[in-house]
Amino acid sequence: MDISVEQRESRLGWKLIAPSIGVIGLLIIYPILYNVYLSFFDVKLTGANLFVGFANYERLLKDTAYYSSLFTTVLYLFGTVLGTTVVGLFVALLMNLHFPFRNVARTVILLPYFAPVISVVFGWQFIFDPVNGIYNHVVVEMLHLSGTRHNLIGDPKTALLVVILFDIWKHFPISYLLIISKLQSINRDQYEAAAMDGCGPIGRFFHITLPEISFVLGTLVILRLMWNWNKFDEVFLLAPNVETLPIFTYYTAFTGIIDQGMAASISVINFLILSGLIIFYVKKILKW
Amino acid sequence: MASLKLKNIHKRFGSVEVLHDINLEIKEGEFVVLVGPSGCGKSTTLRLIAGLEDITEGEVIINHNVVNLLEPQHRNIAMVFQNYALYPHKNVRENIIFGLKMAKVSRDIMDARLEKVAKMLELQDFLDRKPAQLSGGQRQRVAMGRAIVRDADVFLFDEPLSNLDAKLRHQMRSEIKRIHRAVQTTTLYVTHDQVEAMTMGDRIVVMKEGVIEQQGTPMEIYLKPSNTFVATFIGSPSMNLMDAKLFPEHVEIEGQRIHFKEKIQRPDFLLPKEGLPIKLGIRPDFFLDENFASRGGSLAKINYAKIDLIEPLGFDKELDVQVGTQSLKVRLDLRTTAKEGDTINLCFDMERAHFFDIKTDKNLFIHPPIRPQA
Repeated sequence: MDISVEQRESRLGWKLIAPSIGVIGLLIIYPILYNVYLSFFDVKLTGANLFVGFANYERLLKDTAYYSSLFTTVLYLFGTVLGTTVVGLFVALLMNLHFPFRNVARTVILLPYFAPVISVVFGWQFIFDPVNGIYNHVVVEMLHLSGTRHNLIGDPKTALLVVILFDIWKHFPISYLLIISKLQSINRDQYEAAAMDGCGPIGRFFHITLPEISFVLGTLVILRLMWNWNKFDEVFLLAPNVETLPIFTYYTAFTGIIDQGMAASISVINFLILSGLIIFYVKKILKW
Repeated sequence: MASLKLKNIHKRFGSVEVLHDINLEIKEGEFVVLVGPSGCGKSTTLRLIAGLEDITEGEVIINHNVVNLLEPQHRNIAMVFQNYALYPHKNVRENIIFGLKMAKVSRDIMDARLEKVAKMLELQDFLDRKPAQLSGGQRQRVAMGRAIVRDADVFLFDEPLSNLDAKLRHQMRSEIKRIHRAVQTTTLYVTHDQVEAMTMGDRIVVMKEGVIEQQGTPMEIYLKPSNTFVATFIGSPSMNLMDAKLFPEHVEIEGQRIHFKEKIQRPDFLLPKEGLPIKLGIRPDFFLDENFASRGGSLAKINYAKIDLIEPLGFDKELDVQVGTQSLKVRLDLRTTAKEGDTINLCFDMERAHFFDIKTDKNLFIHPPIRPQA
């Protein structure tokens, strides 16, 4: 049988990616579809699921706990995305200056990003421990800024703040890394030309640096939004009382009065929002 | 307009000194070209004036004010960079008026100046384009516009034509000259291209290894080079330097004696009996084929030059010839009928020849050794 070179190549291509498609299908596409299916049922652990149509969604949209969780998630996203981007930018600008041992500093800064989550979570919990923690020791005993010891992680009012700070600390290195790589590629001539044109250091930042790194900043914001929308491990390990949507979903599905149908409907909504973000990223930022 | 003065400038990068005691004065409205091979310190000199590098020692004086400690943005200097350094995110209009915006010039004046400059540089149709949408020549013009529009005291050009093709370079050369004539701004222009230097400058400053070798009008530099470096660097093809011996009444090259005629400037300094070993410099363009040279006058002659190679260039021919053991480049007019392998007698005007000290490389008539006691 005669087939063209292009057809042969195309067949080879399909053969080569078939294993990946199989694995992705099994581990990602099937669960997603199954989750969508479950969201229309009153799920019984015995297996006798009862079709309820959109009832799960109706109940969810009337549930104040859901909106409270949504609000927490929005605060969490706002704080972490803004924080990592601003801190990353600031550190990148700093590390782009010339000073002794710059290379050492540049490397050390990356450490939080590479440290295993569980070990640094224990570290942070120890820092804020109400009895033995350094934070209370410094604030209460040494500086006398407060008369009483606080359990910042245990108190739901302040736990969100600690979780946001933790995320900024752990993830600003990736922002820093992306921003500094772009900073280094900006032509020095441009800065010199701007200086000759009467532009001081602040003007040069706004007229040259910022336009040059705007693409990277856009990418960072949208990527961090996507990552943190689904962030479970860090939040749950550090402060399980901060109920962002993934944590709320987990509690609904697996603790207390188990309601997996409703948990599935939360996940479906999350999935749709995330898909929207991804489409926006691909169309508007990557411009594919 | 302003005057510009460099006084005893030294520049060191770490322990390496790249500029050694540079002294230079540029008058108001003058167009001075700084020329030299790569790495001679000409761009560094420019950057010191602009304030983009710190001065190790010495003073930069603009309009009688020492500006050493002023930031670039406070020196009122405009600079055109080698690769233009346009702002990629701004369109042509914004690129040109950026300096005026920084200086908070009023909208009306800004528009008027933009219009004038855009017209002068024929950029009216491109004002809304981004630099990436322009050709090399257009970008070059935008960079020029950005400098002109500001009405700066001094223009600095850092090899602005080196990224253009030959035809465009030629065109922009005249363009820059024309613009300078129109705006009359004091200009320092850096290039490694001696043709640019010769054609553009009111005055040329030749640099080598961080030292000014010679400064003067293009003709002074061309006709009276003060040493072998300047002699061979300026002019294309380069000046021939032949090993010769200088005597009070003649020069000896490869055993041929060439006597000085009456009106020739003769060496008025002491010469050893066995002759002073020198480099005799003659430009390729100053040779004539004996068959077509008018007899008599002050013409000197080198006989029996063997022709290795002839390159016809159109209205003249370039020849590689061999005199004894020495090779020369010679440019003769089209009438010469000699062929490769032939020998030819070459005439030249002794007044246009140069005598260089073999040890110091200096022009003996400009820097004579010890003169005899009067």
